[in-house]
Amino acid sequence: MSRAAAAGVAVVLLLLPWAGTGEYPLALLSSVFMYSTLAVAWNVIGGFAGYLSFGHAAFFGLGGYTTGFLLVRGGLSPFLTAPLGGVVAAVFAALAGYPCLRLRGPYFAVVTMILGLAVRAVILNLPWTGAAEGLWMTLPPWEPLSARRAFYYAMLVVALCTVLAVRAVRLGKSGVGLEALREDEDAAQSIGVPAVRLKLGALILSAGLTGLAGGVYAYDRSYIHPDFMFDLHLSVLAVLMALLGGRQSWAGPILGAVVVRLVDEVLTVRVGTEAARIIFGLGLALVIVLLPEGLLPHLLRLRRGAPRPPAAVPAAVVRS
Amino acid sequence: MLVQAVQALATGLLTGTVYALLGAGFSLIWGVAHVINIAHPALAVGAAYAAYALAMRGVDPLVSLAVVVPLFFVLGVVLYEGVVRPAARRSGDLVLVSMVLTFGLAAALENALAAVWGPGPRVINVAYTGQAVRLGLLALPVPHLAGAGLAAVTIAALYLFLHETLPGKAVRAVWQNREGAALCGVNLRQVTGLTYGLAVASAGVAGVALALIYSFSPASHLTWLVFVFLVVIVGGVGSLVGAMVAGVLVGALTHLTTLVLPFAWTPFLLFASLGLLLLWRPTGLLRR
Repeated sequence: MSRAAAAGVAVVLLLLPWAGTGEYPLALLSSVFMYSTLAVAWNVIGGFAGYLSFGHAAFFGLGGYTTGFLLVRGGLSPFLTAPLGGVVAAVFAALAGYPCLRLRGPYFAVVTMILGLAVRAVILNLPWTGAAEGLWMTLPPWEPLSARRAFYYAMLVVALCTVLAVRAVRLGKSGVGLEALREDEDAAQSIGVPAVRLKLGALILSAGLTGLAGGVYAYDRSYIHPDFMFDLHLSVLAVLMALLGGRQSWAGPILGAVVVRLVDEVLTVRVGTEAARIIFGLGLALVIVLLPEGLLPHLLRLRRGAPRPPAAVPAAVVRS
Repeated sequence: MLVQAVQALATGLLTGTVYALLGAGFSLIWGVAHVINIAHPALAVGAAYAAYALAMRGVDPLVSLAVVVPLFFVLGVVLYEGVVRPAARRSGDLVLVSMVLTFGLAAALENALAAVWGPGPRVINVAYTGQAVRLGLLALPVPHLAGAGLAAVTIAALYLFLHETLPGKAVRAVWQNREGAALCGVNLRQVTGLTYGLAVASAGVAGVALALIYSFSPASHLTWLVFVFLVVIVGGVGSLVGAMVAGVLVGALTHLTTLVLPFAWTPFLLFASLGLLLLWRPTGLLRR
């Protein structure tokens, strides 16, 4: 996407709530922003560094629970609690990630998945988190539509910050370093790439952004429960979206998130949850078999193959 | 207290044997094909429902194995030939592809089961439900004994197959060194297909055995997945003996901790011990 097109999309998204848009489209778009955030953030560690985390629901849930806990028990403002949720998730990622990142390949994937399930088990058993009953938050006495607008903007800001931060990482020096780690960690280390610092940094950034999204989502939903805040499906959806869009670029996961979320919505509305999940599971399997590289590289190739001057492909996209 | 401890240990050993069988098949696929089969416990839950459907028509779960085992063997071969192999050929990142792929299959299977039988838990009732064998002060429920016995026999059969027959030795050769085995004339495709067949059939047996012991629901596979991970990581990837030891260990630990801590804390304890174990020995307790 060229700079002008990106600016155009941003302006449209910013003005949309005032164009007579109803609650449902705004809610759907907020959810698209949220999943874009999760997928783009996951991609920093999973795509750029090649460390496949299947436990990102842990960071999302921690962000949400930090928000819920501080709101209910501390009475703090949500402007403060959501970023704090990100901080808590990032700190947890630093503590848990340090040992986990010593593992490679399938071991890392399996351990992160167990980590996600473990955090859920702990929250379910701590009485002061509401445990299995969940936690209720009281929203200010807003009209439904203005509440929708507020959360729409909150999620949009989170998604924009995430995309800009991750894009900066990808195009910067650490992006090159992470790519080197993915290709061959030992070789990269031998020529002086600071592997531990980069991996840990990538995981912390990824977890922090995921926790931030979790914090906003928790307040939006105003009721949280371990079953959906720490849902394994969240972890896997983030992976799937990044994978479908394309893991090598910063923009691929956005494409994946938009496609997956909209398809999921249509299926759920049309055929019901169970049938939708069956189709979805099989579709997931099919996508992996047919498009292992992701959609974005294919689209870019189509564009390059078309009879256009090479300048039509902007530098930013090629580099990513 | 001592009687309770011994009772907990005995129950733990019985259930642990079944976890060992479930872990063994998962471990075999991971070791031989380098594929993380997230759908493994979901297939076991599928077998539990198959046994349940037959039990409703008066067929004993042990008899239903005559249907489940061949069916699941074929299912395993189809899973490899039809799904995993084409996916693996198109992508270099087998771990990622296999995990996402098999998660998709597991989610589809879970929801298909929920669509047919509903999301609630089911129990298999057999003639010997509620009966127990008394050994002094200990009481061993007959369904537990049947499930554990079934699992133990299957593990023994797998062990004999892998160690005493030529195809079994080929499977172990591929696990130890893929290229080396291929150079010696082992047909990798056939052996991998055979591994999938055996592993999924063993998941079928484990599912029936677990159904004798616990109630199950379509979502049960996530809980069973945790035990499978534990067994494989503790026992080491691809090792049958390791899986056996780890399964029994995990089963015993789970039941012993319930004596000192509320049951709800058991998963956390298991995870924590697993985390520490991984830091100490990332390749498992019993290294090859």
